[in-house]
Amino acid sequence: MAEIKIENLKYRYPDTKELALDGITCDIKPGEFIGVIGRNGSGKSTFCQSLIGLVPNFYRGAYGGKVFIDDIEVRNVEVDELCQKVGMVFQNPFNQVTGSKLTVYEEIAFGLENFGIPRNEMKKRIDDALELLDIAKYRDRAPFDLSGGQMQRMAIASIIAMNPEIIVLDEPTSQLDPQGSEEVFKAVAKLSEKGITVIMVEHKIEKIAAYSDRIMLLDGGKLVAFDTPQEIFAREDLAEHGVVAPVYTRICKDLGLRVPGTDYYPVTLDEAHKLLACK
Amino acid sequence: MNTIEIKNLHFSYNAGEEILKGLNLTIDERSTAIIGQNGAGKTTFVKLLKGLLRPTEGQILFNGQDISKQTVATLAKDIGLIFQNPNDQIFKNTVLDEVMFGPMQIGMSKDKAKEVALKALDMVGLKGTEKINPYDLGLSERKMVSIAAIVAMDTKVVIFDEPTIAQDYMGKKRIQAIMKELQRQHKIVISILHDMDFVAETFDRAIVFAKGDALLDGDVKSVFKEKDILEKAYLEQPYTMQLCYELGYKEAFLNPEDFVAYKKANQ
Amino acid sequence: MKSLSLYEDKQSFLNGLTPGCKAFYIIAALVIPAMLGNKLISIGFIVLSILLLTQSKVIRRTLPILAVSGFVLITVIIIQGLFRAGNETVVLDLGPVAFYKEGLIFAADIAINVLNIIFAFCVLVLTTKPSDIIESMVSRGFSPRIGYVFVSLFQLIPQMTERMSTITDAQRSRGMETEGSLLIRMKAFIPLISPVIMSSFIDTKERAIALEVRGFNSKEKKSFLNVFHANAASRPIYWILLIATVASVVWKLVMMFA
Repeated sequence: MAEIKIENLKYRYPDTKELALDGITCDIKPGEFIGVIGRNGSGKSTFCQSLIGLVPNFYRGAYGGKVFIDDIEVRNVEVDELCQKVGMVFQNPFNQVTGSKLTVYEEIAFGLENFGIPRNEMKKRIDDALELLDIAKYRDRAPFDLSGGQMQRMAIASIIAMNPEIIVLDEPTSQLDPQGSEEVFKAVAKLSEKGITVIMVEHKIEKIAAYSDRIMLLDGGKLVAFDTPQEIFAREDLAEHGVVAPVYTRICKDLGLRVPGTDYYPVTLDEAHKLLACK
Repeated sequence: MNTIEIKNLHFSYNAGEEILKGLNLTIDERSTAIIGQNGAGKTTFVKLLKGLLRPTEGQILFNGQDISKQTVATLAKDIGLIFQNPNDQIFKNTVLDEVMFGPMQIGMSKDKAKEVALKALDMVGLKGTEKINPYDLGLSERKMVSIAAIVAMDTKVVIFDEPTIAQDYMGKKRIQAIMKELQRQHKIVISILHDMDFVAETFDRAIVFAKGDALLDGDVKSVFKEKDILEKAYLEQPYTMQLCYELGYKEAFLNPEDFVAYKKANQ
Repeated sequence: MKSLSLYEDKQSFLNGLTPGCKAFYIIAALVIPAMLGNKLISIGFIVLSILLLTQSKVIRRTLPILAVSGFVLITVIIIQGLFRAGNETVVLDLGPVAFYKEGLIFAADIAINVLNIIFAFCVLVLTTKPSDIIESMVSRGFSPRIGYVFVSLFQLIPQMTERMSTITDAQRSRGMETEGSLLIRMKAFIPLISPVIMSSFIDTKERAIALEVRGFNSKEKKSFLNVFHANAASRPIYWILLIATVASVVWKLVMMFA
């Protein structure tokens, strides 16, 4: 399984003055579920794109430091050499549909065809991906006829079929209705259970707090903090960095209720429920 | 007081496939959130309010006048609609020109348009960006430009279509402040939303759409109390309410502040 | 949102022909009449295309395409019929204006050529699965990119139309009049065009990145999900078309030098 190692990563988009990423150093272990939070413009998307080499190889611009996926240094390889190891899902489901395929089944095949995966292997992988994302019943539907949530799960299936060890999701639920976004969260949780490393940018703070092993807080391209949700949301300076703790954390903090035996406040509904119920 | 009366409103794009099935509502100066799954008819409904679509049956009366008697362009003086994606509307080279476009279209003089545009930009927190090209701003600021562009038209009704999409915490706070200010000016504020906590913290009234009809309608608290009905419409309660429900409280709170205040008072 | 998939598998004779064979049909339908310089052959090809499309049960799908091009053709016929330089022989006198034979013949020539092209392309596009077109192009040494652009165009047009109507709505909402005189419509055009270009630009960039991370630029040899079962008639038809086309070119050359 793939390990991610980032050393003093700095990056500036072409024709801009400010650094989009400013000295990020961190390690991500195989199988971790990492939430990425921060205000708009804090560098979350840029960070995601640096993990698959879109930054700097697609956008160009000034780049410093190193990103390693195992022993591969990302900037030295093309995106297509990396994308069977690192998959990436974007915000807008419509713009991830190729537009050249007639059915969901064929759409998922797109990436596999590009890598010359033999037909039988391809079919097996597509069936597994359909199953995992719970969209097997739409396999013969036209890609554009799906709802947003279904389309986003198809996008994830298309990536998962390529067997990546790491999947990076950049605000995959922000354009979906509550049902669609719940479907995507459940699907991502399943990927994590399978041992795939998940890195997910998300504004829905209560959700990301519940799913993440660790949370990365970015501001102005800098890594402000990288720690467990409990540590992150116990911080006093969240508002300065344009984020807010989950509702449950705020309630317990105001009531002075810490998780017994720790310095932390609850971050999930369950934790808060337990704590408040015994009061 | 401004009102919109909706009487037996039906709409379908294709015969036999009704998107709205006979809505009856009166919308007044209480701020109103429209929630529900995609495909429930929310966007169709606001397009009808805005006159972009015509009812197949029934009527929409704004302050007693049937809006179907007016063209979309003339209706623009009374009813403003902020589209989901700011890129669908922005076309001028500077922020100021973009915000002045609407006011000038509805007949304001250039000086007057500039005055209202500057006021609107101030309100959305974009003071000082007047000369910038909107496409040099980030998406969330561009959204604010598109809001200012409608606010500047000083319409009696302001409708938002999923304004919180891609907004961070600060952006949501700002949109909340804008909505409250519009309401203070006695405008009718209507918004389609997917963020239940935002609805709970910002709105007076919530209408749950499901399959082309209003499944629930009432003040926000009473609507969000109906956990089972919400589930049928694939909606969740706001987080604070979920906690109240888990704890088996009879009393339900819409936001963390009310919850904390109650606990502190009862300790 | 419905995708405008032009293709539908009807298990017809044309469905079973290889894309290459149908592509050659287009070439033959255009080259042979041009070489022989005979409009009757063009008409012959139009009739043949219509028969083939009817047999494949897809003739109705040509209607929207004909509607668009029909509008243009009627304009051409009217303008040429009324005003073409060299118009001498009146065919139809309508009082203030008259249609002339020379202009009408010229316009008819254009119409025949356009219809021939449209129907010949329909034979390929309406009866061939998009991925088969790509596969066939790739196997002939074309870059998959060209095939992709060709195929995705048909699927993305409905998305763009939808976008266009949202943008129109957004500007109407700000008081812009889009209905009425030509002048009003012309003025309404500018606020529409820039958002259309900007948003297609943004969409295209996002889609390009999304394709990139799915190995669109991979240097591996592509494989294909579907196996295409070609009709046995494909090969002989291909050869007949090829020979007929080459023969027509040879004939033209002989005539030029003879």
